[in-house]
Amino acid sequence: MSGRGQVKIVDEHDPEISPERLIERFGRDFFRDFDIDDPNLNEHFHEVIDLMVQKCPVAHSKVGSGYHVFSTEDAVRKIGQDWQTFSSAKGYIPNRPDDQPLMIPVEQDPPNHTSWRRVLNPHMSPQVMDAIRADVAREVNLLIDKFIDRSECEFISEMAGLLPGRAFFIYVLGVPVDDLPELVHDVDKSLFGPLDTRTKYHKKVYDYLEDFMKKRQAMPPQGDIVDTILKGVTYKDGEAAPWDHQVSVVLDLTYGGISTTIYALGSIARHLADHPEQRQQLLDHPEWIENSVEEFVRAYSPVVAMGRTCMKDTQVDGIDLKEGDYVMLGFSGAGRDPRTIANPKELNFAEPTIHHATFGVGPHRCIGSHLARMELAVFITEWLKRIPHFQVKPGTEPVYETGFLRAMSSLYLEWK
Amino acid sequence: MQLKVDEMLCSGHGRCAKFAPAVFSLDEAGFNTAVGRVVDVPPGEEDNATKAMKACPERAISDAGQ
Repeated sequence: MSGRGQVKIVDEHDPEISPERLIERFGRDFFRDFDIDDPNLNEHFHEVIDLMVQKCPVAHSKVGSGYHVFSTEDAVRKIGQDWQTFSSAKGYIPNRPDDQPLMIPVEQDPPNHTSWRRVLNPHMSPQVMDAIRADVAREVNLLIDKFIDRSECEFISEMAGLLPGRAFFIYVLGVPVDDLPELVHDVDKSLFGPLDTRTKYHKKVYDYLEDFMKKRQAMPPQGDIVDTILKGVTYKDGEAAPWDHQVSVVLDLTYGGISTTIYALGSIARHLADHPEQRQQLLDHPEWIENSVEEFVRAYSPVVAMGRTCMKDTQVDGIDLKEGDYVMLGFSGAGRDPRTIANPKELNFAEPTIHHATFGVGPHRCIGSHLARMELAVFITEWLKRIPHFQVKPGTEPVYETGFLRAMSSLYLEWK
Repeated sequence: MQLKVDEMLCSGHGRCAKFAPAVFSLDEAGFNTAVGRVVDVPPGEEDNATKAMKACPERAISDAGQ
């Protein structure tokens, strides 16, 4: 088999995945005609993703110049690790407009990417995150204080939408606490506000963070991640990374971490609300909470898919790819791949050897993964201490959005 | 039991030190300190080391005896 538009289907004669049946069920043939922005994907998300990883491990999209979506954990790992063949330097979103500045370092390849990661990683290590665990626990409790007596909350705007921003801006970036309410609000608007105002708020966040960097430049060094970014790195051509790259690093850290963690928190709260028996497991076995975090992010990956550009002709999972082809690493499917995980739709908190690709694989492994793991475990621990039993408020439905990220924009919870 | 840690594959997920802290440690950037080397697993640590090997998202840890 060769040629563009190729898909890999396990059984061509399987009636469940004929184009007609898929269109009837999901409003689109997501296997042969994938579109990450189709609202039908949002509506039928896990049904489509689960069927895809099981029966169509390589799907194809005709949107723009077209792209393939690889869903098995094995293919995602191979592509993610082989950065020489699969470059990040042309963008992580398909059909990216040429005039949009690249995000640094996520849209770079080694060795320039490595130059940044080498200096940034020590600020985001498991050891550093352990040291702010108690601070994050206090933040969780301060947020719970505000609504616990009401016996209900809108979880996204009152908890999930606030915690990642506060944890990152206060304890990682060191932004003045007085600036937080507006900054966290603007980040939220730039992600989940009306579509036509998102660019405006994104620009506002950019301007704030650039101004913050300039102010820090004039201050004595504090030995933190901001100083490391201000000190900068030297690229392979011997030139210093320019100022707009330094600001981009701060933006990348901010946006890479916040919306993804909001979704992870929302998914955890919803799952525990809907599964009293699994909630009880964590109440009985708090020592399972760290494992549960791995299971939650495996089954509910905040990143649906991220892309790479082929730098040479190659083959992955039986599909021929040409130089210049765009491929997407389907993290949502890879975490629910029955080839590597027994019962992938079930969450197993007792299982101690969970592996998944949700934080990425290869040199672009999520730099905030240790912050996220700590934050999610602290959230579960503190929440269950104070609100051990809760449910989705009757008459409400959680609201989701889907693009290359999966997001949750509202979740009403109640308790006695 | 001897395990080897692939220098090119370790990306700093840190799962190895979580599951087998007596076998693996992390450097200041959060990467396995034994990259590129073979590690002798202390007696009694075989189960933890096996869990660490299986939990690595990069499959960077392998049995050096194989």
